[in-house]
Amino acid sequence: MSQLKYAYYPGCASQEITKESSKTTRLVASALGIELHDMPKANCCGAGLLTDYDYDLYIALNARIFAEAEQMGMDIMTICSTCLMVMSTANRDLQNDKRLLEKTNDILSKAGLHYSGNVKVKQFLWVLAEDYGLDNLKKKVVKPLSWLKVAPFYGCHSLRPSSALGFDDPQKPWSLEAVIKALGAEAVEYKGKTKCCGFQVDLVAEETAVQMTGTRLLDAKGHGGNCLVTPCPFCHINLDNYQGLAEKKVHQKIDLPIFHLSQLVGLALGLSAVEMGMTRHLVSAEKLVG
Amino acid sequence: MRAAIEAAKSGLNVALVTKVYPVRSHSVAAQGGINAALNPADSWENHAFDTVKGSDYLGDQDAIELLCREAPEDILALERMGAVWSRDFDGNIAQRPFGGAGYPRTCYLADRTGHGILHVLYEQVIRHGVIIYDEWHVVKLVVKDNAARGVIAIELKTGRLHRLHSKAAVIATGGYGRVYKTTTNALSSTGDGMGLALSAGAALMDMEFVQFHPTTLPRTGILITEGARGEGGYLLNSKGERFMEKYAPKVKELASRDVVSRAEQTEIDAGRGVDGCVLLDLRHLGAEKINERLPQIRDIAINFAGVDPIEKPIPVRPGAHYSMGGIMTDVNGMTAIAGLYAAGESACVSVHGANRLGGNSLLDAVVFGRRAGAAASEFCFQTAFPEFPDSSLKDAAHEVADILKRDGGEPAFIIRGEMTAAMENSCGVFRDKERLTKGLENIRELKERYKKVSLSDKSDCFNTELLAVVELGNMLDVAKAILIGAVNREESRGAHSRTDFPRRDDEKWLKHTLINKTNGELKISCKDVTITKYKPAERKY
Amino acid sequence: MKIKIKIKRFNPNEGEESREPYFQLYNVEAGEGMTVLDALLKIADEDDPTLSFRRSCRSAICGSCAVSINGHAKLACKTQILPERHKFGEILVEPLANHAVMKDLIVDFSPFWNKMSRVTPYLTPPPGRQEQADDVKITPADEAAIDRAQTCIMCGACNSECNALEIDPEYIAPAALAKAWRFVGDVREGEKQKRLERLSMEHGMWDCVRCVHCTEYCPKDVRPLKEIELLRSAAIGRGITDNHGAKHVESMTQSVKRVGRLDEAAMTFKTLGFLRSLGMIPFGLKMELHGKMPMPLIFSQIEGMDEVKTIFDEIEEKKKEKE
Repeated sequence: MSQLKYAYYPGCASQEITKESSKTTRLVASALGIELHDMPKANCCGAGLLTDYDYDLYIALNARIFAEAEQMGMDIMTICSTCLMVMSTANRDLQNDKRLLEKTNDILSKAGLHYSGNVKVKQFLWVLAEDYGLDNLKKKVVKPLSWLKVAPFYGCHSLRPSSALGFDDPQKPWSLEAVIKALGAEAVEYKGKTKCCGFQVDLVAEETAVQMTGTRLLDAKGHGGNCLVTPCPFCHINLDNYQGLAEKKVHQKIDLPIFHLSQLVGLALGLSAVEMGMTRHLVSAEKLVG
Repeated sequence: MRAAIEAAKSGLNVALVTKVYPVRSHSVAAQGGINAALNPADSWENHAFDTVKGSDYLGDQDAIELLCREAPEDILALERMGAVWSRDFDGNIAQRPFGGAGYPRTCYLADRTGHGILHVLYEQVIRHGVIIYDEWHVVKLVVKDNAARGVIAIELKTGRLHRLHSKAAVIATGGYGRVYKTTTNALSSTGDGMGLALSAGAALMDMEFVQFHPTTLPRTGILITEGARGEGGYLLNSKGERFMEKYAPKVKELASRDVVSRAEQTEIDAGRGVDGCVLLDLRHLGAEKINERLPQIRDIAINFAGVDPIEKPIPVRPGAHYSMGGIMTDVNGMTAIAGLYAAGESACVSVHGANRLGGNSLLDAVVFGRRAGAAASEFCFQTAFPEFPDSSLKDAAHEVADILKRDGGEPAFIIRGEMTAAMENSCGVFRDKERLTKGLENIRELKERYKKVSLSDKSDCFNTELLAVVELGNMLDVAKAILIGAVNREESRGAHSRTDFPRRDDEKWLKHTLINKTNGELKISCKDVTITKYKPAERKY
Repeated sequence: MKIKIKIKRFNPNEGEESREPYFQLYNVEAGEGMTVLDALLKIADEDDPTLSFRRSCRSAICGSCAVSINGHAKLACKTQILPERHKFGEILVEPLANHAVMKDLIVDFSPFWNKMSRVTPYLTPPPGRQEQADDVKITPADEAAIDRAQTCIMCGACNSECNALEIDPEYIAPAALAKAWRFVGDVREGEKQKRLERLSMEHGMWDCVRCVHCTEYCPKDVRPLKEIELLRSAAIGRGITDNHGAKHVESMTQSVKRVGRLDEAAMTFKTLGFLRSLGMIPFGLKMELHGKMPMPLIFSQIEGMDEVKTIFDEIEEKKKEKE
C-alpha cells in the first residue's frame, strides 16, 4: 500500500467543542501510519448555514478550501459528516457546472486563488473502510472489542445526498458496521441509524431536536446497543451532550455512552480512555472502557 | 377543473367530484404540448385548416374555427394563472413542430406540458374555493324528465353512497384507453363518464374513432411523446430504413398519427419490425438536446424500456391513446339533457373528427372546459333547483349492495382481460367486418357474464375491487359502442381503417355516428357534419 | 422466476381481533422489467382482490403509487422488482411513513393537502390587482429558477421520509416548501414578502433539520432541500430575520467573516438572545465542568483572513450589481 496522506480538515466543532475527536483521530492516524497534513488556511465550510445565507458565497468559500488542498496536492479528509456533505455538494456543483466553476474562479482570482476541480472530499470512515482497508485495520487491532454491542449511527450527512457523496448506499449502508466488526465488536441493527440526530435545529426548534435525540437513543438502546458510535461531531454533541435533556423529554433513563469513530478505533488499538479525551463526554463510558 | 374554475368565478357554489386526487388525472401525463397560433406568421385559420385536414374532414368546422380562434387567449390565460411556458432565447413563448401541423405552433413546458397545466388548474381550483370531493366515484348521473338533477357517488374511504344535488353537472372524466390491452392511458382511464352519460340517456358520437399513438413502449404501452419526433427523432424498421419516407414523403415522421401508426403496423405485419416494434432513434439529436428538451422521455425509456435513448433507439409500437369520440355536445359543452354538460376527452364536440392532431387535446380540454363551465353557470342562474328524485339513492344503494352480495361468480379481472384482448384483436389499427362482428359477439357474451361477477372483498373502506367492478360495467358499454360504430361505418377515414373498405366515402359517410341507449339496447343513428369553408379533399402528407 | 413479496396489511373493517397491522406473503411470477406496481396489480387480480393500494398513470407522473419499499419511499411504478430484490434480498412493501394508515397501503393524505393549502398554493397577483398582467416578461432564467420546484408530482415521498415531520406533525414539511418556492421564486408573484414572513413562523421553513431525506428520495429530483435553502436566502435577503433560524444563519456568517470559522459560544448567544441564553446556563455549566464550553475571547483566526474578506467583498459587490 502506498503512503496514505490527506489534507486534514477536522471542521470547526472538532477544533473546539469536541476537540477530543480531532485529538484521537491524530493519534489513531499516526498508529495506522496515515499522514494527516494540517490546513492552516481552511475556513469554515458553512455547516449548511452559509448555503442558507447565500449560495454563491457558500460555493466561493468552499472553493477556497479546495484550492488549498489542490495546492497541497492531496485529497481532503474530514471527521465531520456535515463538513463532508457541505463540501461534497459544493464540489459536485463546481465539477458538474463549468459556468459555475468559471464564475467562482473569477471571484477566487481576486484573492489570488484558483480551483481546477480536481480535489476529492472524504470522510475518516471512508478512508478506513476503503483507502486503508478493513483487512489492514484488523491486523492493527490489539484489543478486539468483543464485549461491545455497538449501535452504528450514520446520521444524515455521511450518506445523503448520494448524488454528491457517492460512497455508501443510504438505503443499505455498510461501512460503519464493517469497521465495527473489523474492530472485533458486534454491530446492532436498528432503523434509526440513518436518521437525523436533531442537531441542525438545536437552537431553532429545541423541542423537536431534543425529542429527536431521545427517539434515536431509545431506538439504538432498544435494539440491544450498549454503546453507540458516530462518525460526526455534531451527532456526538446531541447524542452525548443533549442526552440528559433527551432523558427528561422521553421520561426515561437512557445512559448510553457515545463514541467518536476515532475513539472506537483507538480503543481497539490499545489507546487509553484518558488519552482519547473520553472524560470530556457527559455520559460516562467508564463501565465499558474501564 | 377548467370548467369548475370558470363556474366558481361566476360566484356559484361548485364541487369537484373525482375518483382520484385532482392532480392524478391523466392529463398529467400529456407530454408534448398544446397548440395555438401565436406567431404573427401563423394564423388561427391555418391551425383550423390543419385540424380539419387532420380530422379527415369529419370534424365540425364551426367548432374547429372556434377552438383555433380562442386558443391564443386560453394559452395566455393559463400563463396568467401561473403556468410558465418554455421560452425561446428572447423570452417569447417557445413553440415546437408537431405532427400534421403546417407551422410550429405547439407550446410546451419541457416534456411535461399536461403536468404543468393540471397543477396550475388545481392551484386555481383551490384559489376559487371549489369544494373537492376527492376519492369519490360517481355511480349514477341522476336525470329525470330529461333534466340533470345531480349525481350519486360512493365515498371510497367509507364505502358510503352520497347524493350530490345540483342544478347542472359537467362530465370531464377523460378517455377509455383501458378497454384496450395496450394503451398509453392510466389505469383510471376507464371511460366512466361516457358509460354514465349513455345510461342517463345522452348520446355518444363517433366512438369508432380510436387514436392509436405511434410511439408507445411494448408491454406497458407507456407513451413516448410526439415531441420526440417533433425534436427530430427518426422511425426505423429492422433494416434501418426511415420507412416514413415511403408513406409520407414530405413530412415523414411528422405525418398525422393515424398515418404513422398505419405505416408502423404495415412494416411490422410485413416482417420488417423488431420483436413486434419499430425503432425510434434519437441518437443523432445528441445528449445535450435530449437532456434539455426531452428529459422525462429519457427517464421513461431508461426506467420502463431499459434503454438510454442517448445510446440506443427505443422500441415503439402503436397503442390505444385517445378517444376522438365521446359524449355528444354543442360548442358550449351542452348535451341533449338539460343541465348536463361534458368537456375534454369524454366529450365529442366534434373538433377531432376521425383523427386528432397532437397538441389539440389539451387545447380541447382547456377551451371547451372553460366554455362548458361558463355555459353551465349561465344555465344555473336561469334555472330553478329541480327536485332530486328520492328513490334514486335507494336504487343506487341496492345496485351496489347487489354486487357486494353476489357469491360464487367469476372475478372481474377475467372478464376485463377478455374484453381488452377482444378489443385489441378486433378493433385495432386495421379492422374488417369479420373481426369486428366477432369482437361484438364477444363483448355481448362478456356483458352477460358481467351480471354475475362477484367480489372477494366485502369491506367498506377503500374497496378497490368494488371500484374495479363498477368501472368494468362502464367499459363494457363503451367497448360495445365502439364496435357497433366500427361495424357500421363501411369506409376508411382517419383512425378508422377498414381493410374491406379501404377508401374514404364522403357520399355515404361524411356523417357522425350517434349511439343512444334505449331500454338497455344500444341504437345507432347519424348526424351531418358541419362544413364551413374547408371542402373535403384527399388527405396527403 | 417466483419471487416472495411481503406486504404490510391493515383493514379497519375486519373483526376486532385482527385490527392490528400484519404482514402477508405473496408469491409472484416476476420477469425482467416488472415493477412493484405490476406485481401489486397481479396480486390484486389473481391472488387477493382485497389488497388495496392507490395507482393510476403507472408511468411516474401522477404521484398515486408512492409506498415504502424495503424501508424507503418509492413510486411502485418506477421500482423494478429484480434489481430491488437483488439489493435487499427481499421485497417488503409498506404504506408511506409519517402518515396514518387507512387500509393496507393507502394512507390518509389529508394532512399532505392541508400543508399545501398553508402555503397559499397559487400565484398571487400584486396587491390591488385581481389578475396577473401579461406585461411581466419571463426569461429562460426566470423559468429555470422554479423549474425543479415545478416538476413535483405531489406523491408525498419527501414528507414520508422527512425526519422533522416524524417528530413534529405540525411541521410544514418539504413538499409544501418546494411548492412555496415555486411561487416565491416566480418573477410575477406579488406577495413574496408576506409569504416569506409566514414561512418564517414556528413549524415553518426554519424547522427543517436538513436530514436530506427529501432530496434523496424524491422520485422526480425536485430536491426540496434546495428550495428550502432558496426560501431561506430570500427571507434573509428581504430582512426577515426576527427568528431563531435566520439569526442563527446571520451570526454564523458574521463569525466566518470575522475569524474564518464557527464561533460556537457567540452563536448561541446571538441566536437565542440574552434571556434564552440564561435559560441554558445550567446546561452550559455542566459543559464547562467537562471543558466543553468554548471561549469566544480566545478563539483564534484562521490564516489568510484577507482572502476570506476579499471573497465576501466580491460577493457583496456582485449582489449590488445585480440589483
